[in-house]
Amino acid sequence: MQLRYVFSEAAIGLRRNLTMTIALVVTMFVSLTLVGMGLLLHAQADKAEQRWGSQLQITVYLCNANARAATCAGGEVTDPQKSAVVQVLKTHPEVKNFSYRSKQQAYDALQKLAKQQDTSSNDLYSTVTVNDMNQSYTVTLKDPRKYQGVEQAIAGLDGVENVQDLHNLLSPIYKFLSAMLVGALVFAGVLLVAAVLEVGNTIRLTAHARRREIGIMRLVGAGSLSIQLPFLMETLVAAMIGIVLSAGALAFFVWYVVYGKLRTSNIVYWIDYWDLLRAIAAIAVLGIVMTVIPTLLMTRKYLKV
Amino acid sequence: MIKFENVTSTYDAAQHPALEGVNVEVEKDEFVFLVGASGSGKSTFLRLILRETRPTSGRVYVAGKEINRLAGWKVPGLRRQIGTVFQDFRLLHNKTVAENVAFALQVIGKPRAHIKRVVPDTLEMVGLQGKENRMPDELSGGEQQRVAIARAFVNRPMILIADEPTGNLDPNTSVGIMKLLDRINRTGTTVVMATHDVDIVDQMRKRVIELDEGRVVRDQSRGVYGRS
Repeated sequence: MQLRYVFSEAAIGLRRNLTMTIALVVTMFVSLTLVGMGLLLHAQADKAEQRWGSQLQITVYLCNANARAATCAGGEVTDPQKSAVVQVLKTHPEVKNFSYRSKQQAYDALQKLAKQQDTSSNDLYSTVTVNDMNQSYTVTLKDPRKYQGVEQAIAGLDGVENVQDLHNLLSPIYKFLSAMLVGALVFAGVLLVAAVLEVGNTIRLTAHARRREIGIMRLVGAGSLSIQLPFLMETLVAAMIGIVLSAGALAFFVWYVVYGKLRTSNIVYWIDYWDLLRAIAAIAVLGIVMTVIPTLLMTRKYLKV
Repeated sequence: MIKFENVTSTYDAAQHPALEGVNVEVEKDEFVFLVGASGSGKSTFLRLILRETRPTSGRVYVAGKEINRLAGWKVPGLRRQIGTVFQDFRLLHNKTVAENVAFALQVIGKPRAHIKRVVPDTLEMVGLQGKENRMPDELSGGEQQRVAIARAFVNRPMILIADEPTGNLDPNTSVGIMKLLDRINRTGTTVVMATHDVDIVDQMRKRVIELDEGRVVRDQSRGVYGRS
């Protein structure tokens, strides 16, 4: 089989089916970009999990004088109440370790945080006094996902104002991320189906336009591969353009949005160029597989030797 | 070279078999006319040789191989040993004469040097020297059929199958084409030609196999078109 022949036939085919080729490229581009975005979102969710997951601690806020919770009827937490809490934390099987934070430490931490904020909210922070703060225990769990047992064991104790765990705080973000992920993947899935059907259509058109050539090729004893190769090249070229465009779009997104805008704030770990590369590799493989397999199936159907 | 052993071929939708109980043997170097009315089974006969279709029962041998048992991937190899010519020429209109002939070699992966050498020789043999760069539409019907014959013969097949090659040509042109096929036959290529052309069959006095409703009703060496 002459490569020159394969390439020139593929080029003729691409020109002949220009509108179909463009449709295929656009569908590929959009669907692969969506899949890539889904992968980046997934990577981002993983990054967030890594960052927060290891630090997901339960904070047990003890009563101060202002506390209104029923368990704080006695006002400021007493030493026996604190001992009772410590006793539970020491004996609970899910607790890895815990540390105590005094009112002063809590106040210092707040002031430190205030300095990082813009100046407009400084007034708010300056009205808070050491005595407004809560004493607290920060509890690290053996398994951050099994926070409920510890929470239940402590929440009702006297002198405990409330138990806060970051899961409750973060779950809306997680839910949002996974909803975006599911949405992107569902949408991408629908478009991938469209892309596969377009591959099929392109081949049908090409097979029709080239039926005379194909007939002659079969008669003179060309092998199946020689007959299929120009078709394969044709759809592969369209797929490659789609993949390159979508890789470009993802790269632009990571460069402009993630590196340019989001990474300047350091609250969470953001995805990096490695995640981008992985996403691009995945869509490249997906794009190629999704054109090669329908092409081979369709050409087998139409071009049986 | 070609042997049909009790071959019956039935198409799914048809009530009568296209071929029924056909026993025919064609030797190497033979020139055979296949005659009969439309629908008598001539085309099925040719398609069986090419393994475009398989017999419902019986055996077809080409060059000693039972081709209905040939694995699919070996079919292209079989067809490289068979040249085929049709009534409607089947040329590629976007390629020149030389490109049309070269196409048959390109798609089976022959080296370019080989193609460059063989194509002009073949075109000269069929009498088309000087017309290598013409497009098929610029040629007469007879010349187009010569291109088709050149394409069928360029790979020096053992068998040449011609399905009504003169069906679209005037009598004078037909004679030229027949002379060409005869020349090819003399190079050692077995020629099997289906035709309705009474004059040609009567003039050439070659072996004639007549089919009627799928059965061989006459097999005569040095025969004529109608029963003599």
